[in-house]
Amino acid sequence: MLRLLDRLEEVIITVLIAAATILIFLAVTHRFAIGFAADMVGFARNVEIDGLMRFARATFKFVNGLKMTWAQEACIYMFVWMAKFGAAYGVRTGIHVGVDILAERLTGARRRAITTIAMSGGVVFTAILTWIGADFVWHVAKGGQVSPDLELKMWIIYLAVPLGSALMCFRFLQALHMFWTTGEMAHHDHGAVDGLDEEADDLAKGGQA
Amino acid sequence: MTALLIFAILALLLVTGMPVSIALGLTVFTFLFGFSDVPLDAIALKLFTGIEKFEIMAIPFFILAGNFLTHGGVARRMIRFASSMVGHWYGGLGLASVVSCALFAAISGSSPATVMAVGSILLPAMVKQGYPAQFGVGTITSAGGLGILIPPSIVMVMYAVATSGMVVQGPDGQPVMSASIGDLFIAGVVPGLVLAMMLAGTTTYRAWKFNYPRLPRAPMIDRWTAFRDSVWGLMLIVIIMGGIYGGIFTPTEAAAVSAVYAFVVAVYVYKDIKLSEVPKVLLNSAAMSAMLLYIITNAVMFAFILTSEQIPQALSAWIVDFGFGKIGFLLIVNVMLLMIGMVMEPSAIVLIMAPILYPVAMALGVDPVHFGIMLVVNMEIGLCTPPVGLNLYVASSLSKLGLTEVTRATWPWLLTMLTFLALISYVPAITLTLPRLLGM
Repeated sequence: MLRLLDRLEEVIITVLIAAATILIFLAVTHRFAIGFAADMVGFARNVEIDGLMRFARATFKFVNGLKMTWAQEACIYMFVWMAKFGAAYGVRTGIHVGVDILAERLTGARRRAITTIAMSGGVVFTAILTWIGADFVWHVAKGGQVSPDLELKMWIIYLAVPLGSALMCFRFLQALHMFWTTGEMAHHDHGAVDGLDEEADDLAKGGQA
Repeated sequence: MTALLIFAILALLLVTGMPVSIALGLTVFTFLFGFSDVPLDAIALKLFTGIEKFEIMAIPFFILAGNFLTHGGVARRMIRFASSMVGHWYGGLGLASVVSCALFAAISGSSPATVMAVGSILLPAMVKQGYPAQFGVGTITSAGGLGILIPPSIVMVMYAVATSGMVVQGPDGQPVMSASIGDLFIAGVVPGLVLAMMLAGTTTYRAWKFNYPRLPRAPMIDRWTAFRDSVWGLMLIVIIMGGIYGGIFTPTEAAAVSAVYAFVVAVYVYKDIKLSEVPKVLLNSAAMSAMLLYIITNAVMFAFILTSEQIPQALSAWIVDFGFGKIGFLLIVNVMLLMIGMVMEPSAIVLIMAPILYPVAMALGVDPVHFGIMLVVNMEIGLCTPPVGLNLYVASSLSKLGLTEVTRATWPWLLTMLTFLALISYVPAITLTLPRLLGM
């Protein structure tokens, strides 16, 4: 059950970032295509080739008919969802950075105490957010507000805040539990680079840098 | 008084080691519930709308583009190109490492990853050639920081985000236009090159003084193949800068296009990454972006509290009355940022400090773009200063030298960077000439 939640979290944020990237790329390509089709119409008119003219007109009509104005808005909402769930995933993998010079220097009971305070801070904050967020979503839902381009119901979009925060709260509790039982904390390596082993192997075989 | 209270709460929470984003958020709530009558609804709205700006969305795209190309194979291509071009001069591999760091950092956008990638390939090679490990560590640790100054730079996007929409007045009482992402990127080009040259200069000087080995001059054909190999990666910067400056796309669109480009290069041209590894890159980038976006959301709330308590205005009135002037103010800002930079991460510092310092700087007549670049240079130095300079940690784990030893090894280059900071702070022309020439 927990594994399923972990997996779901990962899949959601992976798909969202990929989809947003492709969407904006398509929107840019689309804008260029309109310009290109318009140029083609102009060219065909100048050289007076009837077939090309018809083709260019049709292309322009088709490309111009596809509306991509909603892309920006969709991208923003996708990233809002990605940010909220990604933040929860980040708690699990220890990506959130803090100022840990004091905690690093302490040992034993003091270390335990200060880290417990730090993590409880996360629990408290995300719990408050879940509550405020849920309250806010409730009011928006009653107001029936919709988004400007996509005309989506805003409360569904804003649902990211209470849901993401609740998940994050759960992750902080999990991390706290793990810290108490095993004394370990997830830690993200910000200097990680893939493919360095292969390079080092190449070097060892006598290849020059 | 209120300002002191807010910052005392923040400092207290930060010291426990809790994530910066959480500490910011809790400060806001503690202050709201305990000491203020700002309505909760206003804050709740910020919570939802804080990151709903299309410019902010450049961050995940830039991170994604960088992650596709943050790979050992790309580092090797940059190193080969750099050493074939400059390896035969004084400083040999040391000079090559400065150039490779600059190239790789510009593409990957992450300083610690640059130190890791370039360092793990070049450090052993340098030691084998008879350089002291300290020399290599010094060059790579400092040059690794170039990533946040050479565009595309996340920290610059952060500054643009933190200051955009702030209504501030110049010394003449006229409203000041905040710096756009495009302005900052263009303005970062010359300072980035100057710093790279200054670091290279220090490297060459020390290599000449201690007579370190040089590489044989590479034949033209090698240079050409090395260039052709690395040009795919370097095109990323050209696409972004050319696209933004040429008005072809907005920074966010440029970032998205560069992410797709980076994907194609990494998977189909360089073949460093298999198609099956792509989800992992996506997941990592999403997690990294989510962390930064989370800091932004909470920093926006924090800035909102500061503004509603009139803190930046009070501070700027106080500083202007005190008569520090521009020169004194910039000095104070630099010292303060260098100190904060020793314990905190660049993006977080910019998001917290920019809203406070920016109105003061504008009131004293500092150019918004110039001020932004100055902040970025400060952040860069912070990455190489103890106790928590990330670059130092990576270099220390790579070279098996202790943190103190690494710090001492980096010292000559750190001094160069401080000189550069003074230059940037007091000679705005270095930063502003290029954007002005381009009519921005």
